Amino acid sequence: MNAAELSAAFDASLDRLAESDGSRAARRQAMAAFARRGFPTRRDEDWKYTDLKPILTGRFDPLPGTPNQDHRRLTLNRLSSLELAPDAPRLVFLDGQRLTNGDSSNLPSGVEVTDRHTAWQRIRSIQTEGQFREYPLTAINTAFSPDCTLIRVDANVVVTRPLHLIYLGGAAANSAEHARLLIDLGANSRLCVVQHFAARDGGGWTNSVTQATQEPGSELTLYRLQEHAGEHFHTELLDVALARDASARLGYVDLGGRLVRNDLRVRLAEPGASCDISGVFLAARGQHVDNHTRIDHIAPHTASDEAFRGIVGERGRGVFNGKVVVHAGARGTDARQSSDNLLLSERGEVDTKPELEIYTDDVKCAHGATVGELDAEQLFYLRSRGMDEETARGLLVFAFANDLLRRIEVPELRKRVVTAVAGHLPDYEHWGGLL
Amino acid sequence: MDGTPLLQIDNLHAAVEDRAILNGVKLDVRPGTVHAIMGPNGSGKSTLAQVLAGRNTYAVTGGSVRYRGLDLLDMEPEERAREGLFLAFQYPVEIPGVNNAYLLKAALNAQRASNGREQVDAFEFMKLIKDKMELMRISKDFLNRSVNEGFSGGEKKRNEILQMLVLEPTLAVLDETDSGLDVDALKVVATGINSLRHPERAAVLVTHYERLLELVVPDHVHVLSEGRIVKSGDQQLARALDERGYDWLRNGSDDP
Repeated sequence: MNAAELSAAFDASLDRLAESDGSRAARRQAMAAFARRGFPTRRDEDWKYTDLKPILTGRFDPLPGTPNQDHRRLTLNRLSSLELAPDAPRLVFLDGQRLTNGDSSNLPSGVEVTDRHTAWQRIRSIQTEGQFREYPLTAINTAFSPDCTLIRVDANVVVTRPLHLIYLGGAAANSAEHARLLIDLGANSRLCVVQHFAARDGGGWTNSVTQATQEPGSELTLYRLQEHAGEHFHTELLDVALARDASARLGYVDLGGRLVRNDLRVRLAEPGASCDISGVFLAARGQHVDNHTRIDHIAPHTASDEAFRGIVGERGRGVFNGKVVVHAGARGTDARQSSDNLLLSERGEVDTKPELEIYTDDVKCAHGATVGELDAEQLFYLRSRGMDEETARGLLVFAFANDLLRRIEVPELRKRVVTAVAGHLPDYEHWGGLL
Repeated sequence: MDGTPLLQIDNLHAAVEDRAILNGVKLDVRPGTVHAIMGPNGSGKSTLAQVLAGRNTYAVTGGSVRYRGLDLLDMEPEERAREGLFLAFQYPVEIPGVNNAYLLKAALNAQRASNGREQVDAFEFMKLIKDKMELMRISKDFLNRSVNEGFSGGEKKRNEILQMLVLEPTLAVLDETDSGLDVDALKVVATGINSLRHPERAAVLVTHYERLLELVVPDHVHVLSEGRIVKSGDQQLARALDERGYDWLRNGSDDP
């Protein structure tokens, strides 16, 4: 599916896509921008370590597929195995399209989900050519997204229950899932969202875009759990803009998929804004996981703390590219970044690249990157307490991930994630009592 | 006090990368006894403790160690632990992401499995450790914290002793457990060690200072120097070392 084929598909389907939601202009603008930019290649510095060729040469239907009833049923059957709690408020998406009958009837009080028209208006008001140039896959998402969801929380509303967004992909074979989410948090409001991607195998591609806008003093917690089947492709952009004293806590967990590229953009636009980012991924058996982040400290006295951990096994590849830009005048910036990787096989690879661009004095910036094996002292300590070597190794790998996972503040999610991570490691059945 | 020694170290040599550290250590430890091993820095005390526990950064280059009739040097660290050997670390290791309750329970169950005993469940486990935690002045929230992470020096040492109390080792080797402890913490640790004294168990205390030995009175005191035991005695020897240091031993004098 090259750029020309995409364009042709777009022209053929624009009428259907933009039928009733006022999205035509936004889609056209996006597609035109993409036509000028094209797919990123490895000659682009930002794509040096990740090759999109498997997606370009894949026979994806760029449009949301029309699932046959069997696929649809099989996909929906998995819902109960994905829910965090039987009555947890949730929205369900199938190949990027919201299923109204999959929603739990009770949205958390204080949360409003707007109509699609409003959502597309919002997109039009924020999209720029520059954004599409930097994130070409966002242009594809905008052009083809079958749906668009805008979640709003009014000023001073504190939403206590987490909202679970379940993305079921792969209902149709070779389908693309262009999920699009907007989150607008009013001043001093608070929201916790769990974005949970879990596509079935069918050689599909999820290309998600989430944009959050935070008014002064608002608090966003967003956990992004990716549990795709092993042959699925996943690309996404999470773009968060924070006003004065707003804070964002973002947590990534990547367990599945064949090729995963997570772009994160955070703009700390006004004084006192802060973000706390953590990510854990597993990459083995040919999996490729690339976390690509850019944090802009635009205003004075902004803070960012970013920690990614990768566990890379046999034929796995982990990439971390973390850019922090401290703009002129952003004095008093406090930026911390770490990328730690366990390389468990000689046939795995880790590329980790911190990038700091600092245009002002009076800042605190710390970054560190490690790629290593298990700690021999820790291993000996556990064995000296009677634990056999295999179990001790498995436990230390788990502990490496768990050190970040234990920060997840939604207990049901933490339990699910911890169990899922453990399930990918050897010998976890011996660990009774830990989980 | 007769019968076979629990631990027989004979002419033990060990090295790190070609540098010899132990040069023929000989020591018998009988059940029911507490031995103190003292010596200046660099004399090989900690190496001896680590070799007994099976740390593979040290190469055993000669000699033998028998423990309960088994060839100790032929056993993996975890086998030694399951056979009742316990090393209290000089520098207990931090393991972020593994909580204390889990480690304690896993250690206990590994030992019980190897003895053909049933595993303890969460309820029994809590019952079993409650008194021991009180004895070590360790609060309950400690169980959910990561192993040794963010602990003070004293907390780490008390945690080592708590693990020892839970595992009830046949042979405890304590590597500088007294270092870095204030007087109160030292008393707590000593109480823990003394509570395990038993006719069928033994302990080897590796220490630089005499003060622990006023609280845990040893049956035998040995001085290790340049990888050999150069003098053995009783508590009086430890006191003499405390007063006069180690130099008089090197000068060839026999009497303190």
